[in-house]
Amino acid sequence: MSAPQPLRPNDYKTALKPVWCPGCGDFGVVATVYRALAQLRLPPEKVAILSGIGCSSRLPGYVAAYGFNGVHGRALPVATGLKASRPDLTVLVAGGDGDGVSIGAGHFQHAARRNVDVTYLLMDNQIYGLTKGQAAPTTPSGDKTKSTLYGNPDPPVDPCELALASGATFVARSFSSDMKGQVEILCAAIAHEGFAVVDVISPCVTFRGDDQYDFWKPKLRSLPADHDPSDRMAALRYCREREVLTTGILYREARPGLVARQQVTRAAAGYDPAQPPSVAALVHSFYP
Amino acid sequence: MAKKLMKGCEAIGEAAVQAGCRLFFGYPITPQNEIPEYLSARLPQVGGTFVQAESEVAASNMLYGASGAGCRCLTSSSSPGISLMMEGVSYIAASELPVVIVNIMRGGPGLGGILPSQSDYLQATKGGGHGDYRCLVLAPSTVQEAADLVMDAFDLADKYRNPVLVLGDGLIGQMMEPVEFKRSTRLEDLPAKSWATTGCKGRERNIINSLYLDPEVLEAHNWKLVRKYEEMARTECRHEFWSPHGDADVLFVAYGSVARIAKTAIDALAEKGVKAALFRPITLFPFPGDALEKAAARVKHVLVSELSTGQMLEDVRFHLGKHRPVSFYGRVGGVIMTPDELVAEALKLAGKAG
Ligand SMILES: Cc1ncc(C[n+]2csc(CCOP(=O)(O)OP(=O)(O)O)c2C)c(N)n1
Ligand code: SF4
Repeated sequence: MSAPQPLRPNDYKTALKPVWCPGCGDFGVVATVYRALAQLRLPPEKVAILSGIGCSSRLPGYVAAYGFNGVHGRALPVATGLKASRPDLTVLVAGGDGDGVSIGAGHFQHAARRNVDVTYLLMDNQIYGLTKGQAAPTTPSGDKTKSTLYGNPDPPVDPCELALASGATFVARSFSSDMKGQVEILCAAIAHEGFAVVDVISPCVTFRGDDQYDFWKPKLRSLPADHDPSDRMAALRYCREREVLTTGILYREARPGLVARQQVTRAAAGYDPAQPPSVAALVHSFYP
Repeated sequence: MAKKLMKGCEAIGEAAVQAGCRLFFGYPITPQNEIPEYLSARLPQVGGTFVQAESEVAASNMLYGASGAGCRCLTSSSSPGISLMMEGVSYIAASELPVVIVNIMRGGPGLGGILPSQSDYLQATKGGGHGDYRCLVLAPSTVQEAADLVMDAFDLADKYRNPVLVLGDGLIGQMMEPVEFKRSTRLEDLPAKSWATTGCKGRERNIINSLYLDPEVLEAHNWKLVRKYEEMARTECRHEFWSPHGDADVLFVAYGSVARIAKTAIDALAEKGVKAALFRPITLFPFPGDALEKAAARVKHVLVSELSTGQMLEDVRFHLGKHRPVSFYGRVGGVIMTPDELVAEALKLAGKAG
């Protein structure tokens, strides 16, 4: 048998051609997923990518790994179920801002609280793309959309701030066409134990305007070199930014993930993985 | 008011405004986004409020709050979203509150597709959420009728203090037809809602509730709801019987868009020497079973056609009895039958298939 060839980004491509609009930020995101998986040398059969519903949620179809394109807003509970049953898999979740912080907002908080061992790629375009341009909870106040003709009356939510407030142990922000920065962040997120949130600004050129790249690019800043990612308060300072968009790993904390904590619970319950009780012994324990 | 060419979804939105609805809560989903989009622009013009909820669960509970305060309010969605609303709908029915819900059905189960379907019939007519309750269900087959029924829906909801569901399919929601808004309700003309939570100065407190821990009291409440549904069955059943070619051999039973396809098929059948007629339920709950029985008594064959695998079929069979053969022709998944398919089915029944 010949030695396994190192995997290249293209090895993670599927035969499906993305149906995103030309210029959609999501093309950049999927390209960084290919590169990060190749860089981490993760074999496709050891990776599962799950999503909800939305333009962005099509991503699993374009990555050669286990995939799930599922229920709007529910990707995180489905991923929690998968990770609980197959802790050996690297689990990624991808989806839109509507999916994640509107209909799925409750799940987002609890995945963070439980520190579920998954990487969450929140593809943030500040609009509902698939349903053709209604306001999302991330749409800035005052913006006109299909459902806010007179300007959005509501303030937006910042997914990074929400993640920090909910106890996420890894919180980062990136921009979809910043290949290098996004791959670095994604590799660190996948290697992280517990819930890793990456809010990737991924422009919707169709419903947010084809000037989106001109709008964002001058705003992009890297985190200052002296930023301390273990300082939650410092991380919060890079939330709700308006004039600039700071990218990088805002916050990182070491805390046991769901899988590790389940092992602790099992040990407390007297379970020894070296000597799992046989079914026969279990049945017999019910007889006097 | 003059006739206007409008998309079904937009006509539904305008009809709600004309009926005095001032509140809409909903969440985007294809193929009905034009309803919330229309109302997001229109309601502020008449002093109303549009809220895009964070989910359908939230929307149905916003409806619960608004209707408790006595306001005419609406939500709309499509199949997967309607499933999520069932929590609120069950509580609203239990608390006897008037709300109007529009379901522009798409193919399921699960995420299904976004093309027209009638596969939520059973969910709509048998309750849908938990507990013993029913929604009054209206099924339009043209854009004009959608507008008319939405207006009626608000009156019926108030009359029975019960959720009213307008059940359309993607065809009705998306097609354009001329429509006229036949009346315009002035808010000040609506009867006062003595049960609403509007502030209890000078009267007994009103309490909106669905919790009855005493089993005897809950049982009484359940039977009270049943009496209301029986009253609906006595007074609200609506149907259309269409028999333009004289005594028919074949009776189509179809609602919504399928009824229109059946009408085309019936004319084509007449040219082939087969007389057919249409029985179209307009209220799906209460189901116009007595009228169906009468219409069916005069024909040789009954052919139910739906954009489902046979859901209304169960009600038709129930009303016609198990000794009466009933045939079925359904297409699902967003596939719509052509008039030719219905013609072929009817010819087979009439023994004239080529
Ligand atoms: C229960 C339910 N409600 C609504 C929808 C319709 N829907 C599909 S995707 C979507 C939101 C799309 O926005 P987002 O999640 O931000 O993703 P994007 O398309 O912008 O990538 C909605 C409302 C649905 N599929 N299921
Ligand atoms: S609608 Fe927007 S988010 Fe969806 S594919 Fe097109 S550009 Fe991307």
